Amino acid sequence: MALWLAVAALGFAVLFNVPKRTLIAIALLSSLGGSCKLILMNFDFHIVIATFFGALLIGVLSIPIAHNKHATPLVFSIPAVIPMIPGAFAYKSMLGFIQLTGNINQTAYDLALNQTISNGIKAAFILLALTAGVSFPMLISRKESVKTMKLS
Amino acid sequence: MKQPKQNTVVSDCLLEIGSLLMGSGASTNRIKVTIERIAETLGYETEILVTHKTVLLLLKNKKTGKVFNRFKKTAPHGANFKLVSGISKMSWKVVEEQWTTDQVNQEIMRLQKATRYPFLLTLFMVGLADAAFCRLFGGAYVDMTIAFTATCIAFYFRHLLLKKQFNFYLCTTIVSFTSCLIAGLAVYLNIGVQPNLAFATCVLFLIPGIPLINSFTDLIDGNVTNGLVRGINAMLIAFSIALGMLGSMYIYNF
Repeated sequence: MALWLAVAALGFAVLFNVPKRTLIAIALLSSLGGSCKLILMNFDFHIVIATFFGALLIGVLSIPIAHNKHATPLVFSIPAVIPMIPGAFAYKSMLGFIQLTGNINQTAYDLALNQTISNGIKAAFILLALTAGVSFPMLISRKESVKTMKLS
Repeated sequence: MKQPKQNTVVSDCLLEIGSLLMGSGASTNRIKVTIERIAETLGYETEILVTHKTVLLLLKNKKTGKVFNRFKKTAPHGANFKLVSGISKMSWKVVEEQWTTDQVNQEIMRLQKATRYPFLLTLFMVGLADAAFCRLFGGAYVDMTIAFTATCIAFYFRHLLLKKQFNFYLCTTIVSFTSCLIAGLAVYLNIGVQPNLAFATCVLFLIPGIPLINSFTDLIDGNVTNGLVRGINAMLIAFSIALGMLGSMYIYNF
């Protein structure tokens, strides 16, 4: 699984045209964050919370790596979190919406409505957790780096 | 009469940096910080307004106290992280080595010429990425092959369309439609173990990852207007993808 997470992240890294020296770090970060999410989910954490911590791990680790490799943290964290996007949930909820527009009987409609809303909300919250997890470390560390700049 | 000339050169240089950064996907705060850092070294005070389409700059000469206004259209939007990290690296060098405007201009020219990855490699990697997505969602190797093929063809198509400078959202819709049409064929003929997974994952290379994350960062940073614009942009792209999928679904009558 970790291998496939890394491959997915590398694909997006190449699409976003990142510097060559950062590719290995992106692959590692992505497999670490994704594995963190999968392990947490194995321990019965909710998928939203697991995703948040996975993204947070990527966000936190991207800052020291960015200092080390001389690139902005953004370069590492965005391709690395992309494998965690809730593509399947978004797809299912879209299928559900299409189903709801059709002529179906009451019980089938109720069932479809339940599933569609559940999938859609899951997709939205996972996306929110993902972006929040990645941006918080960047926002916190920025203030610190400004302070050290003024001190030196 | 030499003063205005210098102002023009410096503001052109700074605006070029802002425009390039906005175009290649940097967050608003980073653009502001970078420009202020460089301007400080060159001996100017700046106030800057960055929006999605334009960058507005106010230069203030520290000695004479005169102000100078200029604005510039942003570079066409397209992710290019090599440029973002290159400019960020340069901004530190500017401070440490006390560069002049000419040096900065030369470095920007060099960075702009920096090569992208070869197209075939990008195509192959993006195809593999979508195949990997298919695997992560629980697809078998056959499904991965389907996703890979659909993505590669659609990505090539996207390359052609973007070259002709189509409307970006329309382009996204058409590409997502093409991709789904190819993967949908597998679902229709029932090839593979779970072909609907390939159908779901073959459009994932279009997702607006950078606008989404930048939107959130900008919103939290207090650049609410920019955050909203980026968010709406991301939502429009997502909507375009969904529209393309919907079209191919109706053709195959799923």
